[in-house]
Amino acid sequence: MYPMTEDKGWSPYLAGALSGLVTIFSVWISGYFLGASTTFVRVAGMIEEIVDPEKIKGMDYFIKFVPHIDWQVMLLIGIFIGSLIAATTSKTFRLKGVPDMWERRFGKSPIKRGLVAFTGGIIAMFGARLADG
Amino acid sequence: MTVLMYGLITGILFGFLLQKGRVIRYDKQLGALRLMDMTIVKFMLSHILVAMVGVYLLKDLGLAKLAIKSTLIGGVTIGGIIFGIGWGLLGYCPGTSVGALAEGRWDALWGILGMLLGGAIYAEVFPFMRETVLTWGDYGKITIPQLLGVNHWFIIPIFIIGGLALFRWFERKGL
Repeated sequence: MYPMTEDKGWSPYLAGALSGLVTIFSVWISGYFLGASTTFVRVAGMIEEIVDPEKIKGMDYFIKFVPHIDWQVMLLIGIFIGSLIAATTSKTFRLKGVPDMWERRFGKSPIKRGLVAFTGGIIAMFGARLADG
Repeated sequence: MTVLMYGLITGILFGFLLQKGRVIRYDKQLGALRLMDMTIVKFMLSHILVAMVGVYLLKDLGLAKLAIKSTLIGGVTIGGIIFGIGWGLLGYCPGTSVGALAEGRWDALWGILGMLLGGAIYAEVFPFMRETVLTWGDYGKITIPQLLGVNHWFIIPIFIIGGLALFRWFERKGL
């Protein structure tokens, strides 16, 4: 278990354990457990609300998960900021539209990658919500 | 407002550690799914082992409540399989996708848009799911200690030993 991996990242054991402490403090101080997929439901509802405010009113799922900015939406915004800080301060920020492993197998096209990522996103979120997060 | 600030701060810390642990990248996520690189499993399981001890301590001290989700065999197995297919195609998790975007991996943006659409589609079919899949094998809010009728401090060390044994095996195999 080396503290540093070859690309100057932290050991996943160390980073994972520290993130476990983040969960403990979150549960202690604010009472919230980490989660992510509910946010996609709430934000989707907020977008639908802009297009057609009447539509979502009668929908049970949006009554259960009211479209608004809550703790978890802020958590995801925070993850974006935290990752941005870590990436820029360690000079590991890279603008890439096609991951290396993908490129080796499926080629350089960002459109092909984008289409599969988009489709995968639809399927992944449907499954995640069916399994209740 | 305070609650929202706590969410933001928790997210910043978590996002920082996700990036430092190099677990948000497509190559790492697919590496785990292809059983070639267990980096994300090491991160997740380390998180769970630490948080498990801390959260149960808080519970025993009366400082926190557990947030147990219902064990829905139908929803979890079918939803899990569907999620796995989508995850394999996308290569980012819902939570890590925003972190990947922040690292400059902008293909995650397509995934985020897809996930928003997926959430909207699920909201449409939820009434159907509630009547069918979500009624299959609903065991309610159960935990392993409760199911076995023992104190949770008997179960927690077993999970820790199991986790450490798995880590040892990963390192031996160079995964």
